[in-house]
Amino acid sequence: MKLGIVDEYSDFGSLLHRWDPRCKLIGLMVLIFAFSFIRDLRMLLAMVVVTTTIYIISKLPVSFIIRRLRYPSFFLLVVVLILPFVSGQTIIMSIGPLDLRQEGLIAVLLIATRFISILTIGLILFGTAPFLTTIKAMRALGLPSILADIVLLSFRYLHEIGSDLQKMQMSMSLRGFDKRGLNIRALSIAAWLSGSILVRSYERSEWVYKAMILRGYGHAPPARGEFQAHSRDVITLGVFLLTAVGFIVGDILYGHGVAALLQ
Amino acid sequence: MHIPDGILPVPVTAAGYAATAAVTWYSVRKINKKENSRQDIPKTSLLTAAFFVVSWIHIPVPPTSVHLVLNGLLGAILGYFAFPAILIGLFFQAVMFQHGGLTTLGVNAMIMGLPAIIAHYIFRLRRFGNKESRWKTGVFGFISGAIAVAMSVSMFVVILLTNIPADLDVGTERAAIYTLAIAHLPLIAIEGFITSLLAVFLQRVRPRILDGV
Amino acid sequence: MRNKRLDVTMLSEELLKPALTVSGLWLSYPDRPDVLQDMSLKVMPGERVGLIGPNGAGKTTFFLGVCGVLKPSAGEIVVLGKPVVNGHFRPDVALVFQNPDDQLFCPSVWDDVAFGPQNMGLSKGEIEVRVTEALSVVGAAELADRPAHHLSEGEKRMVSIAGVLAMRPRLLIYDEPSANLDIRSRRRLIRLLQASKETLLIASHDLELVLEVCNRVVLIDGGCIVADGDPRKVMSDDRLMEAHGQEKPHSLVPHLIPHHAL
Repeated sequence: MKLGIVDEYSDFGSLLHRWDPRCKLIGLMVLIFAFSFIRDLRMLLAMVVVTTTIYIISKLPVSFIIRRLRYPSFFLLVVVLILPFVSGQTIIMSIGPLDLRQEGLIAVLLIATRFISILTIGLILFGTAPFLTTIKAMRALGLPSILADIVLLSFRYLHEIGSDLQKMQMSMSLRGFDKRGLNIRALSIAAWLSGSILVRSYERSEWVYKAMILRGYGHAPPARGEFQAHSRDVITLGVFLLTAVGFIVGDILYGHGVAALLQ
Repeated sequence: MHIPDGILPVPVTAAGYAATAAVTWYSVRKINKKENSRQDIPKTSLLTAAFFVVSWIHIPVPPTSVHLVLNGLLGAILGYFAFPAILIGLFFQAVMFQHGGLTTLGVNAMIMGLPAIIAHYIFRLRRFGNKESRWKTGVFGFISGAIAVAMSVSMFVVILLTNIPADLDVGTERAAIYTLAIAHLPLIAIEGFITSLLAVFLQRVRPRILDGV
Repeated sequence: MRNKRLDVTMLSEELLKPALTVSGLWLSYPDRPDVLQDMSLKVMPGERVGLIGPNGAGKTTFFLGVCGVLKPSAGEIVVLGKPVVNGHFRPDVALVFQNPDDQLFCPSVWDDVAFGPQNMGLSKGEIEVRVTEALSVVGAAELADRPAHHLSEGEKRMVSIAGVLAMRPRLLIYDEPSANLDIRSRRRLIRLLQASKETLLIASHDLELVLEVCNRVVLIDGGCIVADGDPRKVMSDDRLMEAHGQEKPHSLVPHLIPHHAL
């Protein structure tokens, strides 16, 4: 079963692909948070420029980002269509019974730009290394091993369980089940389908546990030295951190940051 | 019911992360203290994956369709483990489907996870009065499922609408909150009903699951 | 640091000691009592024992007991000279599960095969050696970086075998190894089993495989051993086989003339 794990281009070898995963995780996440801080319209342009530059450096294809942003943009559409007519006092234009308001428009611009930039950086973060490597980087940075184990195990069996669901749904439709229509029967069937999946997974977990302890789970010495950061990686991290700080400082200096924070 | 990136201000997302980190830390501590915590890892992982997959099942609710949430049942079954499970599920959703958000991971985990933990305690109440009955399981299933989703919806709506980076006058804001909340009432009822059916199904087929991890 | 070279006297001593001794074994599950009843069995090093019998006879339960996963309600199990202790990690005994998905729980093939050696506390270099060796023995060297869910049934089976071979076990247990395999994969599996130097216990409904690989057959039904001996002798006995839900494998059906043995 094909699951949308974004690392299909993770073997490209760009600068971002080769950046030490731990530094990359810190650098890009800090940048993402810095972006979410921006409230000044003038900084938005800088945000777009920086995001585009990083994307170009990553050598990820344009089709990738278009494909990935398509679905979440529907939400954005709702915001764009509603907010400018509902939020704010300064009316700049009237379209029939609806009043286009300045504050709402600005808010939409802020939200949309931040949203797209953050999602793009997120896609770069997870798209330029195999998912497993990124998880190991998190573990190396202090994620409790219990959580790392759960992430890896869940991820592994997501595909199997997803296939099971598909097969069951196919069997249902082959036997004439019409899933349109809200009625007690549809709800019951949804419940049974879910229940089967839960029970099967629960029982499978008991076998997985047996397999794990038979090969010594719990005896492993803690994972050591998986990642080696060179000075090049740390310098790149420094650059990104400075950029992030620059954005925050720039936003405050332009006067909107602090005022809005204290609102 | 996930808040996407780009809307919430940094103080809110940071607070969300801090709160989530605290609850997760507490859950992990509880897990580590258990006798045979190793056995719980595969169980929690497989159930996390299972609930994630189950959330892809959609129920037609004219004019659209709704995805199952089931954080109430997750909480009922996993107890404190439900919080890391939900956090991890949200993480997958953000990374794989760009649904939800990376900056809002903390906030979304609180919105979904806290009600799950509360649902656990509500579901536990069914043990009072020593008679094990399917009827009781069903009723408490409904209550915990419905309340969990109701709480999530409330938190979602309030956090979202009070933090939109623009001015909504108080009247509009209140109206929006009420409208959104009422629009979710069918979802709450459906979730309650399905949770109840599921709880009864599980009790009939594999009662051990309901005893928790 | 264990000295792995066995000199000649040690070797012959090892060969005289049974690889597996089971005495008076009773095994139950919480919801099913007495799945195995008073079982006794002795297997010598290098033997290849096929366990046949209907579903529910207790073969998998028996394996879980031998591995120390299930605690016996009565009786004793001694493997490779040491009594089996419930929950104790023994890399010298390995079980290949019926469903490879239950056993392939790591994200990539390499990680999964390395799992056992990592838990044995081996050095990074030694782990590398073991993984490469195990993958090449099963013919899956090029699959090392593949995620587990991108494998075919046959590949999953081979990788799960590599995962236990990497621990260099001396007693290898296979639970329905040829289930769901296509012809080519099945043939590859049979060749692998025939080339094994370890002591083997193989539970299988694939009686032809048992004929090709095993030098001893144990027929289990209702939790008890019903027959134990030469594969051809046991499996040619029509009445015995049919009484316990089996059939004579095709190769043994009367038109097989002795001079076909070559």
